[in-house]
Amino acid sequence: MSHVNNNTEAAILSRRKFIKMAGAGLAVLSFPMSSTFAFGADKQKANPKIVWLLLRGALDSMHTIIPSFDPQYKTLRPKLSASFKAPLLPLQQGFFLHPSLKNMHTWYQEKSLLPIVAVSSGYQKRSHFDGQDFLESGKGQIDHDSGWLSRAIDVKNKRALAISRATPISLRGSKNSTKQVSTWYPSKFDSAEHEVYSELAQLYQHDEALKENLENGLEVLGLVGAKNAKTKKRQGKFIDLSKACAKFMVGEQGVDCAMLELGGWDTHNNQSFRLNRQLSELDQGLAALKSGLGDEWQNTVIIIGTEFGRTAKENGTGGTDHGTGSALFLAGGAVNGGKVQGKWPGLKADELFEQRDLMPTTNSFGWIGNILSQHWQFTEQELRQVFPQVKAYNEALVKA
Amino acid sequence: MSENSMSSADVSNVSNVSKANIAVNRFGYGARANELELAKSDPKQWIKSQLQAISFTDNLPDSNEILVEFANYQQQKKQQKKQQNKQLTNQMSMENNDASSIPKVSKLFARKALRDMSANSLQQAINSDHSVSWRLLDFFSNHFSVTANGRLMVGLAATLEREAIAPHLLGNFSDMLLAVEQHPAMLVYLNNEKSFGPNSRMAKKHKKGLNENLAREIMELHTLGVDGGYNQQDVVELAKGITGWSVKKPTKDKGAGFVFRAYGHEPGTRTLLGKRYAPQGMNQGKKMLGDIAKHPATAKHICYKLAHHFVEETPSASLLNKMETTWHRTDGNIKQVMFSLFDADESWQPSAQKFKTPREFVISTYRGLAPKKLNSKVLLNVLTSLGQQPFNAGSPAGYSDEVDDWLGPNALMARIDWATMISGSRGRINSEKIMKLSLGSSVSELTYNAVLRAESRQMSLTLLLMSPEFQRR
Repeated sequence: MSHVNNNTEAAILSRRKFIKMAGAGLAVLSFPMSSTFAFGADKQKANPKIVWLLLRGALDSMHTIIPSFDPQYKTLRPKLSASFKAPLLPLQQGFFLHPSLKNMHTWYQEKSLLPIVAVSSGYQKRSHFDGQDFLESGKGQIDHDSGWLSRAIDVKNKRALAISRATPISLRGSKNSTKQVSTWYPSKFDSAEHEVYSELAQLYQHDEALKENLENGLEVLGLVGAKNAKTKKRQGKFIDLSKACAKFMVGEQGVDCAMLELGGWDTHNNQSFRLNRQLSELDQGLAALKSGLGDEWQNTVIIIGTEFGRTAKENGTGGTDHGTGSALFLAGGAVNGGKVQGKWPGLKADELFEQRDLMPTTNSFGWIGNILSQHWQFTEQELRQVFPQVKAYNEALVKA
Repeated sequence: MSENSMSSADVSNVSNVSKANIAVNRFGYGARANELELAKSDPKQWIKSQLQAISFTDNLPDSNEILVEFANYQQQKKQQKKQQNKQLTNQMSMENNDASSIPKVSKLFARKALRDMSANSLQQAINSDHSVSWRLLDFFSNHFSVTANGRLMVGLAATLEREAIAPHLLGNFSDMLLAVEQHPAMLVYLNNEKSFGPNSRMAKKHKKGLNENLAREIMELHTLGVDGGYNQQDVVELAKGITGWSVKKPTKDKGAGFVFRAYGHEPGTRTLLGKRYAPQGMNQGKKMLGDIAKHPATAKHICYKLAHHFVEETPSASLLNKMETTWHRTDGNIKQVMFSLFDADESWQPSAQKFKTPREFVISTYRGLAPKKLNSKVLLNVLTSLGQQPFNAGSPAGYSDEVDDWLGPNALMARIDWATMISGSRGRINSEKIMKLSLGSSVSELTYNAVLRAESRQMSLTLLLMSPEFQRR
């Protein structure tokens, strides 16, 4: 595209301007400043950041935070409880962490990891897809067009990025979506020439959705540079996504929060082997995120959740089926960790939900709401805009 | 678009020219050669005549061959391990343990089978002169989504649409349902091949048990839908009803394929959705499936998905009503239900309602460009990069059919990059011709001018492929 035949000088000028904006500059112009909010003077943190990591497919919490102290545990899970290949990692109160979660256990000892047992979003059926939508909506009902994280960033005028091909429900519906929510995912193709973008911007002038997504896509391009690392590896490995996520969060242009997703948790069979692998991938990805965040780790809370738990009893094929109560993890330098939160309901038949699943004793959104109020200084009223159904719990989850 | 969007379903004054465009682009995989011309005289009749049976007449392996091959592969691996252990424990004895009794198995067999079958469907869709049939096949293939994960599923995944879906594509849904749920690909994917009744002889002897996975997804995804009125107890009952629906082990059983293992079937009467099913071995589960297929919630669920896929994000109640009425009248005959969709005025709204999925975008692009040769590997790589690798949805719900899941900033940027790349490799292409072939006169002035006045051939084609008219349908 070396010839610019039929264009007037004006067109070339405006095009150049566009390209310039599409490059590094646009991000500065369109992202509102977020660090100038007047919080309570002494409570204000430099840059409180949140990462929301959704484990899609229903993580088996009882194979992750293992309740060895519970006399029913081994009875319900004779095979799974004997399947660990390495010593379990001790937590408080007789709980243990899965041996694959080495880094997370170190953080626990450093008081930067807080496991919360027996939680639920309030979703009571057992469909993955509805369960995820419910957890992402955060409204006590499914709303495909409004996610809790997008409502949260709207309240505080924060900027968010989803490491995803398209915007997940968690980040949908922000009033100012093109300005505040971006998505990024590694692409294999070489980037198109900038002229193409400016021509397309013209072509999309009557098509709002295409126009918005093009502008948004260009912004992100400006942030990471036109071409990401020339990796020949599988695109979209969690560790790589985590590294990229960290890059987007640090520095002056860093976003305030990001959403990551990791699938592969639907372990109906062969669970022991699969979770060894999956949990390692999770643990290593989080370690990469931590090292990428550098000093920002101290200002970060990572919220790790899943749509629901799995049956208390192991099934006939070395796995577990869809259940109810699950776990939540809070990780990061800003987390007041080093203990196990949540109330353990017990595993006797009449203590289980519908005689089969771990009974949830607290609501996920109560914990997340707590993070929003302590980490992002949400007032009670502001919190109601995010979670209309649930009140935040009153525990010190964030370091003072 | 030259027409403005209309709010009512009155399409009487929509010209045949734009109806032809709708027939070709909204219902089919985009125009190829002179299809727009052919469709013009009677667009509705033309699209109806496009619904034709699909059969696969190639020499690609079927599921039985894949199961046998997998068994050989496992045996071979076992043998190798044994030999290695032997050599380790006794370095001196170099006796050659002959493994020739087992056919030599290529490590790549399953991958190649998956690649060949996936590419074959794509190539046929690109070259087909009845592409709406391929759209319909892909719809049901995605409805009964299986993911190629692990060596066995890598081999099996693509056989499901060829063996269980295509043969019933224009027949009754209940037949397709039964064929799918008894197909090795589905049984293995959702773990039913090892699900046994807690009170069966099998469970007592070998401590094997129940797995609810397939039963739950049958009701939630394949038939009734998540709000279809079943509960956890129904899931367990259906799971028990289909215990013993399994897959032969070529090393132990004779042959390969579906098998009913009576000794793994849960004995006793089952109650599903309030109805009792007497113990009848395999027929117990078959009857349960037959009744679920007939359930009004299933008609609702499938008709909604079809209308949502072929017509618009939020199909109108009147369109759904017409389709459901046909469904009930014809006992769920898919061809007749599709005809009622084509007959309905609601399906012919002139403004484009859907954003093409990557698969639709890529197929329609190649249908328009008609390259003499199309490398299968390239084709599959493109879909992978655009986020829709065949048989890799990673969830039994399949790939999303929602605009919001495909029209994201990054997804759009990836499309632009690919459109640029493919336009750059086309040489002396005439974009104006391709525009006429693909979209006819249903092009806005803006797009028309942009394509004609672009600064280069490459730019011109990129703009056409990325224009709202080509991206939407």
